[in-house]
Amino acid sequence: MTCHDAREQLSALIDDALGAAERGAVEEHLATCAECRRELERLRDTVALLRAVEPARAPAGFVDRVLEAARPKPWPRRLFRALLVPWPVKLPIEAAAIVLVAVGVVYVFRSTLEPARFYDAPPSGTTILSDTARPSSDASREAARPEATRALEATRAKETARTLEGGRPQEAVRAREAERAPEAAKAKERDRAPEKQALEKKSPEGPPAAKTTPAPEAFKEAGQQSKDADERRAKLDDTARDVAKRQANVPPAEPQVAGKLEESPARAERSQDAAGARARSLAGEPEPRTDTLQAPRAAAPAPAIASFVAPDVSGRLAVPDRDAALQTLARLLARLGGVEDRRFVGDEGPIVELTISREAYPELLRDLAALGRWQLVREAPALPEKVRVVLRITR
Amino acid sequence: MDRLRRGDPRAFEELVIAYQHRVFGVALRMLGSRAEAEEAAQEVFLRAHRAIADFRGDAKLSTWLYAIASRLCMNRLASGERRLLREGEETLARIPSGHPSPADELERSERDAALHRAIAELSDERRMVVVLRDLEGLSYEEIASALDLELGTVRSRLHRARMDLKEKLERFLP
Repeated sequence: MTCHDAREQLSALIDDALGAAERGAVEEHLATCAECRRELERLRDTVALLRAVEPARAPAGFVDRVLEAARPKPWPRRLFRALLVPWPVKLPIEAAAIVLVAVGVVYVFRSTLEPARFYDAPPSGTTILSDTARPSSDASREAARPEATRALEATRAKETARTLEGGRPQEAVRAREAERAPEAAKAKERDRAPEKQALEKKSPEGPPAAKTTPAPEAFKEAGQQSKDADERRAKLDDTARDVAKRQANVPPAEPQVAGKLEESPARAERSQDAAGARARSLAGEPEPRTDTLQAPRAAAPAPAIASFVAPDVSGRLAVPDRDAALQTLARLLARLGGVEDRRFVGDEGPIVELTISREAYPELLRDLAALGRWQLVREAPALPEKVRVVLRITR
Repeated sequence: MDRLRRGDPRAFEELVIAYQHRVFGVALRMLGSRAEAEEAAQEVFLRAHRAIADFRGDAKLSTWLYAIASRLCMNRLASGERRLLREGEETLARIPSGHPSPADELERSERDAALHRAIAELSDERRMVVVLRDLEGLSYEEIASALDLELGTVRSRLHRARMDLKEKLERFLP
């Protein structure tokens, strides 16, 4: 064994960490090498110095501090740390999340609470169909429920109706567009406004044979305010109709939504009537007779404004007895093959909307003139095959 | 050990009491600053507290704690910030003993000062081995286990460390 080899083993020799063979070889070399023996002694002294170093002692209170640090933190502090530490990373993420959620909430509320606004709008002039077309027991129950619930129901009913309609998604889309594009709706309303105003125009206690206001003048009287009111009512009727539809289990093909009122107002009306009829029969009320002009249609004011397309003809009939005139008109229509599409109750008296063939139209005019004082307000230059007539019956 | 694994707070307290000086001693010799050593020692026990369920029990509890302490100290020493501090201030050259009062420091012999300086000037790896062996009294096997080294590596590293110290302390040797 060389000195170099022997010295490499000296530490292990001091620590008694050598195997018997290694130890023997090293000790054999040391016995013959004074230099390596001296080296061993100096190394032994160095180790002795090291081992003489006073052991370090942990500072006072160390144990308590460790135990304190190891104790579970109170939950608010842990929550705080979990949420905010490290704050340069977590705060911006959380802020972004809050903004996203807020935007989402606003979006959802704006789209779902739309119908609730309808109920907030006080019904003016015309009674809302939904309040009267429902069975009376249902109606009272409905009234007891909070508006928000009803609004939500209306939304759901609308969705259901849309689903049922299936084949007419474009109509649902149109309806929604009408709701969301007030400008477009206003434009439409403006087109329809004249007729509405002509029908709705309230002239309290007019003279028995009041001279009619020419239609264009009536249009002018229709201010922006009434236009807005009309819009609102149209929306209300839309929602209400859907509710009625749901309750009456109207077949999918039947329901109509607001956007397509121009297409078939009469059908929409009939579907409401069906709903109303069912409601009445459920409530134990006698089925109103629709063939009699005394039928209490006033009890169920139709959604007067809801369904306007310019009629081909409009006029006023001033009679001493309006009920009698209505009965006569019904007989007249039956004879001439005309159909009464709907009836409104205006302040001046009933307003009847009817359809009659072009051939029978002149005779209708003659008979009307015989009934009382008849004044033709408006007549389209070219009459279609089915002439739509709006008739205001006043005293 | 079972009590520790069950999360018995009293058992953990006993562990801290039993090993506080040894863990703190390693941290102090390795890091040089009492404040930093206390911080590191506290962290060692907190890590042990969290990981006690993972302790398999095939090593001594003390060896496991030394392993945690040595890794933590080596990681701190390896950080760039720490290296700059060492180069700039030579904090390790004046390691205080267990009693850090100025009076004690004045009484410390020149030899002790030289010894501490010599230890401080060792490379981190050699210092760690010599601290565990000659100051803390671990066996070669325990050091190998704590530092995750081969036994031969421990032996040669320890020998190199002692030879370095011997040269630096030559004039204080008898």
